Amino acid sequence: MRFRLRFVIGVGLIVAALTYLITTAIRNTSEYYLTVSEVSARAAQLQSQPLRVAGRVKPDTINWEPSTLTLKFEMVPIPETTPEGVKPVAASDPVSFKVTCVGQPKPDMFAAGRDVIVEGRLDSHGGIAASQVLTSCPSKYEPKKGQ
Amino acid sequence: MADLGKLTLAIALILAIYSIAANLYGARRGAPAFVASARHALWAMCAMVTIAVVALWNGLLTSDFSLEYVAAYSSSTLPTPYKFTALWGGQQGSLLFWTWLLLIFSSIAAFQNRRRNPEIAPYAMMVLAGVAIFFLAMLNFVTRPFDLMSPIPAQGQDLNPLLQNYWMAIHPPSLYTGYVSATVPFAFGAAALMTGKLDDTWIRTTRRWAIFSWFFLTLGNLFGARWAYEVLGWGGYWAWDPVENAAFMPWLVMTAYLHSVMIQERKDMLKVWNLALIGLAFSLTIFGTFITRSGVISSVHSFTQSGLGPYFLVFLAAVVAGYAGLIWFRARELRSPAEFESYLSREAAFLFNNLVLIGIAFAVFWGTIFPVLSEAVRGVKITVGPPFFNSVNGPLALALVFLMGVGPLIAWRRTSADKLVRSFAAPIALGVATALAALIGGIRAWYVLTAFSLSGFVLGTVIVEFHRGVNARRHLVAESAPRALVNLVSKNNRRYGGYIIHLGVLIAFAGIVGSSFFKTEVKRSVREGESFSIGPYQLRYLGMSAVDTPHLLSATARLEVVRDGREAVTMEPAKLVYKRQEQPATIVAIRSTPLADLYVVLAGIDDTNRATFEVFLTPLVWWLWAGGVLMAIGTVVAMWPNVRERAAIAAALSRARAGELGAEPAPGGD
Repeated sequence: MRFRLRFVIGVGLIVAALTYLITTAIRNTSEYYLTVSEVSARAAQLQSQPLRVAGRVKPDTINWEPSTLTLKFEMVPIPETTPEGVKPVAASDPVSFKVTCVGQPKPDMFAAGRDVIVEGRLDSHGGIAASQVLTSCPSKYEPKKGQ
Repeated sequence: MADLGKLTLAIALILAIYSIAANLYGARRGAPAFVASARHALWAMCAMVTIAVVALWNGLLTSDFSLEYVAAYSSSTLPTPYKFTALWGGQQGSLLFWTWLLLIFSSIAAFQNRRRNPEIAPYAMMVLAGVAIFFLAMLNFVTRPFDLMSPIPAQGQDLNPLLQNYWMAIHPPSLYTGYVSATVPFAFGAAALMTGKLDDTWIRTTRRWAIFSWFFLTLGNLFGARWAYEVLGWGGYWAWDPVENAAFMPWLVMTAYLHSVMIQERKDMLKVWNLALIGLAFSLTIFGTFITRSGVISSVHSFTQSGLGPYFLVFLAAVVAGYAGLIWFRARELRSPAEFESYLSREAAFLFNNLVLIGIAFAVFWGTIFPVLSEAVRGVKITVGPPFFNSVNGPLALALVFLMGVGPLIAWRRTSADKLVRSFAAPIALGVATALAALIGGIRAWYVLTAFSLSGFVLGTVIVEFHRGVNARRHLVAESAPRALVNLVSKNNRRYGGYIIHLGVLIAFAGIVGSSFFKTEVKRSVREGESFSIGPYQLRYLGMSAVDTPHLLSATARLEVVRDGREAVTMEPAKLVYKRQEQPATIVAIRSTPLADLYVVLAGIDDTNRATFEVFLTPLVWWLWAGGVLMAIGTVVAMWPNVRERAAIAAALSRARAGELGAEPAPGGD
């Protein structure tokens, strides 16, 4: 019986260590995952926080400079989907962010109107300095009915 | 063909319901004819779904675009092998394939147990048929593979280019095989709970199924990593994406299960734990499908998001609640008389190994669902990425490797300090020597030093084990050393197969540590004739060539690669554009050596004579694949039918017959 107690203590220590590892790791590595509209609504609190922002590439704003690997574009909110399909991006959409990403190649799937996830921080001009631009990669396509 | 497919799926669903009813009646009333009939119904279900699978394959191979599935995931220009693999390229086909595997495995299990285990087998078959009912209901009512298109399109939308790859052809079937075969031990565990026959019969009966499942989960994860490495072109092989985590968690739990059942077989302990583990493993396979299909957790590789999520969630909740209820109901009978006696015992080492494995699985689970939890609790979505998983699992992996060395060398029950010193002196020396060698080699990162040192230690313990065994044989039967080694492994294949797996894990672990800590990367946009360097390599861009076929358009860059001024080779990374889907894909050029991989990506073609390259130099990544191969070999050794075991069973049976002892129960081992 005495050993049983010691055993429970041993197991308890392991569980405690695991809890400690998880909570500290969460505190140190978590990033806000926000949409473009959410970022603009709370821009003030989010200064210098690590962010992941989901949005859509605004057409005619892409500027890719291959010699310096600099990608600049504007990002707008992803419109709500409706049963008929996806609404087009409104040209006069008020909320948009300038995204600047230096040092990364342009992703294969990157194009106007595509959905992207940008990792980075807000810069002093109200844009996003991105360390990485990820394109949502639709690894399986949904058939378009009646096509 | 579409009608045939629909019809067979409907018949299979009806048969599944009949099979459960017949089994229940037969087992309750002791009517073997009904149990046999239920078994035949299971076989008939398997035949029906086989016909459905052949019908869908026929549609894919003949490019029958009247089928919505074929139009969505294939095209007439798709190369034939990929028309074949398009069966699991989309959701409906994947679920059909899953159901087919489930019924093949259920049929085999039914055949194996047609005379054996008359008490629990009917209940296990009921569980298997119950799982089949869920999947067949999905295929009949929710996500139908034989829906028709109208009007019939002239051409299909083609299989996603990322899936038109050798590794993608074999990765999903391996993973599905691993997932689905875990259902068999789960069914027998549930049957043991239902019938109250709670000894280790269910474990022994399904031991080989569990190893089989683990084998394919291992391969499935490795093939997926290999695919990510070769195809996705980001230089890594694992990103802790929810979809990857979904495949990794069942592997962790099955690994824990395979170890902890040994304690029950030896010491009659941990009954509840083993039952819980197999239930968890099965639930995680369903959970994995739920995450990938529901879109609840955003993944970079988002699969088709569909209305399937809620059904899987309800099924998962029913499985977990029902199974937990059964364990609760049997809790009193599951109490074990034996107890742990010492920390310095093999069962304690196994228990801690289990805790660490489940700890890793929990951390992965927590990180995967954290965005959903934080949104529900705090109203803001917070994600954790690879840094989270690495910082939690890094230390846990070290603990696991340490226990992997300790477990096999200490005795059951308890070990004396004296024995401990004798067993561990040589391995510890090897561990210290490895650390010193790494220090001299210029490695300063504490994690890497610890990891390599522990790997040396565990390598030492494996060598000691083989050495001991060979020596014992040479003294007993006077064999030469190589013959003794072969006999040792073949006569104790489960144990020594396990050590070979451990060796593979060690090598893979060293590869993972090396490739994570010492990867270097260069990104450069260059003109024709310009060169740049990474590590000892000089790369010169020679030019671009293009090929245009009806199926795809490709641009291939040629690079001259020189190492330390000698041995020039040409590497040809390329970019493809698949015409049907207007989607670009990357063909990575990899020059692999045991020391390091040179990995060249054509990241962009900027204008007529300028291209952007992304180049990675990744040390030791070759070891990951080599370790994987060794793990596979070890698993085959451990699964191999043991000649001695068979002979012992046969001898026992013939003795029973000769002595006319009547119906002595056949040993349960398979």
